[in-house]
Amino acid sequence: MALDPVTVRVGDTLPALRKEPITREHLRRYAEASGDHNPIHLDDDFAKSAGYPSVFAHGMLSMGYLGEFLAQAGGTPEAIRKFRARFAKLTWPGDELTCRGTVTGVRDEDGVRLVDCEIWTETQTGERKVTGTATLGLAIGR
Amino acid sequence: MPSKELIGEVLSTGSATVSAEHVARFAEALGDGNDRYRDEAAVAPPTYPIAFMAQAMAGGAETFQKLELNYATLVHGEQEFEYVRPIRVGESLTLTGRIGDVYEKRSSSGAVLDFVVLETEARDAREQVVFYSRNVLISRRAA
Repeated sequence: MALDPVTVRVGDTLPALRKEPITREHLRRYAEASGDHNPIHLDDDFAKSAGYPSVFAHGMLSMGYLGEFLAQAGGTPEAIRKFRARFAKLTWPGDELTCRGTVTGVRDEDGVRLVDCEIWTETQTGERKVTGTATLGLAIGR
Repeated sequence: MPSKELIGEVLSTGSATVSAEHVARFAEALGDGNDRYRDEAAVAPPTYPIAFMAQAMAGGAETFQKLELNYATLVHGEQEFEYVRPIRVGESLTLTGRIGDVYEKRSSSGAVLDFVVLETEARDAREQVVFYSRNVLISRRAA
């Protein structure tokens, strides 16, 4: 359920979004749709030659999950005004991500309630991977 | 290593039409079933600009080499979008990508990390800005 523009307060929790465990097939499909064909995400031999234990997920795949989460929190994708992500830690096949966030600021501008949020993805073991911030614009009254 | 003289330089430009098929395929790849990406008067998902930029600015590979980053260790460090308005399916957007900043940091292990900030803006047919993108690329300099 989306945030209520009337009652939203600093400290509120955004409704979490749990995604299914990441597979190599997800990475292949994301590469195809996004145009990012870097073999570090697709070819285990290449990833190992670059010093990684296996392929890892595109940072933008995780940011995409956070985008789905923000569109749900804001009620519609059009609510998202600003969206920033820092790819702090790598995400691996098998990781099961949950998108989470909290409200850090609420202010009004031109009849729109702007809600600043801290957002992140975390794994099934609670490790935060991608961290960021976003601003949602929620319509108040008419 | 990238040169600070590149700051402000236009890296690449391009334009393309936001196609319903590409937007739906991108949402599908994220496992995002939101109807707003598929219905009439559909809009694009918030991270769609990254796919659109790859599509519209294809061919910028040569200019990209000017950055002289170590591609073997190149990673996407940060990404930021600011949306002036939603991206509508069916519209054409023109992109201009500039080098916003070039700097270096030393990692805890002593390696030199090169940072390049790419700033892209998208304008519609009336030359109004639709979104801004800021992309921080990091590579470890070869010893």
